[in-house]
Amino acid sequence: MKDKIFGVLQRVGRSFMLPIALLPVAGLLLGIGSSFTNPTTLETYRLTSIITEGGILYTILSIMSKTGGVVFDNLPLLFAMGVAIGMAKKEKEVAALSAAIAYLIMNAAISVLISARGGVEAMAENSTTSALGITTLQMGVFGGIIVGLGVAALHNRFYKIQLPQVLSFFGGTRFVPIISSLVYLLVGILMFFLWPIVQLGISKLGGLVLNSGYAGTWIYGIIERALIPFGLHHVFYMPFWQTELGGSMVIDGNLVQGAQNIFFAQLASRSTQQFAVSATRFMSGKFPFMIFGLPAAAFAMYKAARPQKKKIVQGLLLSAALTSIITGITEPLEFTFLFVAPLMYGVHCVLAGLSFMLMHIFNVGVGMTFSGGAIDLLLFGILQGNAKTNWIWIVVVGLVYAVIYYFVFYYLITKLNLKTPGREADDEEAKLYTRKDVNEAKSTNNQDRVSALILNGLGGKENISDIDCCATRLRVTVNNSDLVQDSLLKESGASGVIRKGNGIQIIYGPQVSVIKSNFEDYLDHPESTTKAINTHQKKESKKAAISPTVIYSPMSGKIVKLEDVEDDVFSQKILGDGIAIEPKDGKLFAPCNGKITTVFETKHAINIIDENGAELLIHVGIDTVQLNGTHFKSYVKDGQTVKKGELLLSFNMEEIKKAGYLLTTSLIVCNSDDYQELNITTSDMINVGKTLIELK
Amino acid sequence: METFTYTIRDQLGIHARPAGILAKKAKEFNSEIILTCNQKSANITKLIALMGLGVKCGDTVQLTVTGSDEKIAAETMKQFFSEHF
Repeated sequence: MKDKIFGVLQRVGRSFMLPIALLPVAGLLLGIGSSFTNPTTLETYRLTSIITEGGILYTILSIMSKTGGVVFDNLPLLFAMGVAIGMAKKEKEVAALSAAIAYLIMNAAISVLISARGGVEAMAENSTTSALGITTLQMGVFGGIIVGLGVAALHNRFYKIQLPQVLSFFGGTRFVPIISSLVYLLVGILMFFLWPIVQLGISKLGGLVLNSGYAGTWIYGIIERALIPFGLHHVFYMPFWQTELGGSMVIDGNLVQGAQNIFFAQLASRSTQQFAVSATRFMSGKFPFMIFGLPAAAFAMYKAARPQKKKIVQGLLLSAALTSIITGITEPLEFTFLFVAPLMYGVHCVLAGLSFMLMHIFNVGVGMTFSGGAIDLLLFGILQGNAKTNWIWIVVVGLVYAVIYYFVFYYLITKLNLKTPGREADDEEAKLYTRKDVNEAKSTNNQDRVSALILNGLGGKENISDIDCCATRLRVTVNNSDLVQDSLLKESGASGVIRKGNGIQIIYGPQVSVIKSNFEDYLDHPESTTKAINTHQKKESKKAAISPTVIYSPMSGKIVKLEDVEDDVFSQKILGDGIAIEPKDGKLFAPCNGKITTVFETKHAINIIDENGAELLIHVGIDTVQLNGTHFKSYVKDGQTVKKGELLLSFNMEEIKKAGYLLTTSLIVCNSDDYQELNITTSDMINVGKTLIELK
Repeated sequence: METFTYTIRDQLGIHARPAGILAKKAKEFNSEIILTCNQKSANITKLIALMGLGVKCGDTVQLTVTGSDEKIAAETMKQFFSEHF
């Protein structure tokens, strides 16, 4: 059970990678754009003459800020779709569409309930937001993830559903968006009542923080980090930044409330001697772990990646680390390990909390616009001077943090074998996949039988170049239409087959989309594919008419089961099924009428094709290839036709034994797969020329 | 279609035993794998034909892999040859 949960979490983590890959770019755009369009920043650095509102530079920066911001504003939607894509087994595009719709529906339901209660004003402060123009509850990425996971579960359960004939147009994949919409309508209603309870609990935590000094700052830091995955951190820290919960102060005669407001008021004031740490303690702690700690963790993940994967993860980790350093946007990095290694995220939260506390203790007074990257450190720390801000402590603590993060992460990853990017086993997923598919195949034997019939009817996998379907027909493009057998296709339930050159249309009726899904599954499934191809080959080889035949003993001696021969290649029947003989005399005779195809240069083995098509290998002794022909004499040549009982080889048994080799002679039917039965007629002593094997 | 060539380094060439393991490996793939040596070709899953080529040490063989998994099959066989022959 634990493994199962862990496996699911890992898949969720991997499914995050698609939206996460976008975040570094969006983060840079937002970070740079918003820093240099922030009126406070511009005024402080007297940039208002260069970057003026409405001017070209300002407009470009605004575009950067807004385009980056729109990604973050809609992160829940991206995660809803990304997770659905990642978790859906097949027909992923349908899951993506369904997730988008379900997300809209859920929020629309919440929105109606909010206005029914009396609008945003009636709700708790900071508890609502606007998602895609819909006023809804602030659920952050968490809202997207519950949509993604739920829709993927619905999708995997229903994408093959068969509805009654009348409704069958709505069956299969078309059913998924429908059921998703209905389910998330209810989820939306449910969330409207449940989520505010969660939000309330979090704002209560705020009070606790305020009353506990340094420890309170630590708790604040831990909670702030821990809430990020749930999108609840805004609910938690915004009151500190923007309301009297974060302190109040009279600056230049005005009462200012909230930590961030106090900092920016002080920044604008000319009378500030030192920034109030009582306010910045809710901000400064971000710098050390965002600029130093997390990038070091990224480096540890890179070092811990498997050598052949390093190149691939380098790009992801490097850009995520740079985003964190420059802009203080940490989600790209944090989400790479959050789900694959929740323990590491826990460690990260504790260290991040400590960072806030240390900044509080060292009296660091650096504020920020929205996060703790190098841009904000430069503008609000370094450029303000160490006397006002004590920013030097950020670097000191940061360097120590880099070392700690690197070693802690590297140790945890390697010790616990955590599957951070670049450490996933390639075959692992494939294996899980196969096992699951095998189970599925067991329960859906009939579907597989239909698929197998279609596959064989179309002339095997190799012959199929493209599969599609319309409302009633499976449309297949084949490489060679001569290989298509209408009779097999009709046996699979088709009411008709239409051929147009290499285009084959097989008419099934409205349930065709289900048949297509099953058939595609079947094609992707390695085992059933080989099975299908094998049965196919067997059929063909039966057509080639291998006729029954009898092989006579090529020598006198004692019968040994092939399984007991002291050579894996023979005993495991890698070369084919057959029998072995412990020879009495050093002579080998033709076991049948046939043609010698090969006399090995080392004369210890001979290939013969029997007149009825049996392909035989007679191998004298074990590993006697090493003798390189000494002690062997051959009486036949390649290509020679022989009669049963003709002398083929003679060999000096005494000398071969003396040289240290066993004489066990194997007679292998290399094409034993072509026969249904291979009967060994005796199990004891046998004389040369007596019946040895019957092939049917 | 994927092709590659390989020069046999194993002293004993492709005799019965190695032909067996080679054919077993080749059967893991859907692709058809043809081995050509001294102007003669054989499907390497057909043991008799393969042994009939009498591939010896120093011979250069050409492998031609055709089928749905030809890329991976060719890579694997290349690796397999360098490990065993």
